[in-house]
Amino acid sequence: MSTDVMIQASDLSKRFGHVRALDKVSFQVKKGEVVGFLGPNGAGKSTAMRILTCFLSPSAGSATVHGYDVFDDPLAVRRSIGYLPQRAPLYTDMSVIDYLRFTSEIRGLSPATFKKRLGTVIEVCGLAQVMTKDIGTLSHGYRQRVGLGQALIHDPPILILDEPTADLDPNEKAEVIRYIQEIGRDRTVLLSTHNLSEVEQACARAIIISKGKIVADGQLEEIRAKSGGIRYVVAVDGQGAEGDQAAPGYSDLEEAFGKLPGVKHVRELRTEENARRVEIAGPPDADLRAEIFRLMVARGWTLLELRRDAQSLDAVFRDLTKADEALDRGREWDEAVAAGPADEDDDDDDDSEDDDTDAASAAEPVAEAAEKR
Amino acid sequence: MTPTLTIAKREFRSYFDSPLAYVVICLSFFGLGLFFFMYRGGFWQLDRATMQPLFEFVPAGLAMLVIPVVTMRLMAEEKRSGTLEMLITLPVKDSDVVLGKFIGAFGLVLTIVTATLLYPVLMFKAPWNLGPLDMGPVWSGYLGLVLYAAAAVSVGLLISSLTDSQAVAFFVTFFVLGAFWFSGNVADHLSGASANVLHYVSFQSRMSGFMRGLIDSRDVVFFLSITILALVVAFRALERRKWA
Repeated sequence: MSTDVMIQASDLSKRFGHVRALDKVSFQVKKGEVVGFLGPNGAGKSTAMRILTCFLSPSAGSATVHGYDVFDDPLAVRRSIGYLPQRAPLYTDMSVIDYLRFTSEIRGLSPATFKKRLGTVIEVCGLAQVMTKDIGTLSHGYRQRVGLGQALIHDPPILILDEPTADLDPNEKAEVIRYIQEIGRDRTVLLSTHNLSEVEQACARAIIISKGKIVADGQLEEIRAKSGGIRYVVAVDGQGAEGDQAAPGYSDLEEAFGKLPGVKHVRELRTEENARRVEIAGPPDADLRAEIFRLMVARGWTLLELRRDAQSLDAVFRDLTKADEALDRGREWDEAVAAGPADEDDDDDDDSEDDDTDAASAAEPVAEAAEKR
Repeated sequence: MTPTLTIAKREFRSYFDSPLAYVVICLSFFGLGLFFFMYRGGFWQLDRATMQPLFEFVPAGLAMLVIPVVTMRLMAEEKRSGTLEMLITLPVKDSDVVLGKFIGAFGLVLTIVTATLLYPVLMFKAPWNLGPLDMGPVWSGYLGLVLYAAAAVSVGLLISSLTDSQAVAFFVTFFVLGAFWFSGNVADHLSGASANVLHYVSFQSRMSGFMRGLIDSRDVVFFLSITILALVVAFRALERRKWA
């Protein structure tokens, strides 16, 4: 198993002054996996990637990439990865071909290997049109592709891509995602983004990080299941319909479906002209569709629609990270007001909590004294 | 090719991919010509077959104009635009980056210094022959120029690696190199220990020996030490990002 682990992070922490950017982050990425690294802006995604690429050093903890330690052998680590930093910072005064040649020379590829790889890279990244143009004249989409190209030029076993689709228009985004899917077939890819639909398209597994901590890690299905369960949407014909059976009311539906095993709640949805819809929150580990159908038949109701879907990743993401965010924003504002405009808003959570308790304990004796009187 | 040389080559070429190198070369030669022949009567006033004015004006011109312009972007621009992250996450050592950039910028300065060889050649060989030129002081003067340029470029690189603003890098380098150059003149008005120190670090007094054909090992060691020291500090400044 150990040979299969391409990226291993153990208890990585990183502090920037008072700000704790990463707090004991541990994860593994195995060979052949495409993993989405998700989180709101400022959650620590880029910091983690910079540590893995040996651009920064962790304040504590360790990491190995392709079996090489980021402290002991940074050059070997960098040799085995292709890295695309955020916003694809490239030398704008160089032409695309010169830039690719430059990176391949630094990576020590022979001219023959470079030629061979160049063909593949041009094809995979769609660079044929722009090879002789200056990078400064290219659109963001093309720069991103050139960035991907330089990450692929040495055929690395591991790719680390930091927000490869930021700043792109929807067409370009779709294309980059397609490249990543293609590239990811025979490589290990760690990809950061705050765009969830991309993760759903390109990745099988996601690591969700919020405020420097990992809040979820697993297959997309697992993450969905853990944090929400599965929801069923049922539409029943509301016109009365067949034979002598009366049309069911909401109370009937609620009563009937509520008895199914593991159902948490039944909720009315928007009514259409001749259909009554309910949403049923089912248990995460079972499929109730067959039972719902049998129940409908037994009651003689007419089924118009039955849909089972896992909670969308969007909702999961918001659930997992929103609480922190809301808290954060509120506090930032309070602090800003309290401290005045000159103060920076990078105070640690610990500090502010301490402040709160201090204020509370300071206020207590006053209250007690007031009571005694 | 080693990563150091690849970086140096890219750096050197990028000067010529932008108008910068051409502007710097043209203007500095225009300025040199003006000073060499016109300033206070210039070369003609000396009435001797000597290249001495060249070795007074070229280092001053390098310090005040060429080297601040050439070195200001080396690290500052990379940091500002984020390309530093791209460069450093390639399999290169931090020392490769510092040394490569130093060699690239030093290469451009050397190009300019070498081009000034046209002065003695044109004036004293062909097409003009203004007199019998003693080549000894010329060669020692050029050795001094090269050593001086190495020290000045590495100081510029160091300053550039401490900021991410090219403008700040330019002005600080301009000021520091100017101070090093004129500290000897200031020392003339002072006395005691401070005068000695200022004389000791003055680039101008260090250059005067080379100008007169005197290669003093102390001066050689002085310029080499400044170069190495500045490069090591620049390397540390680059490494600091990891722990900041």
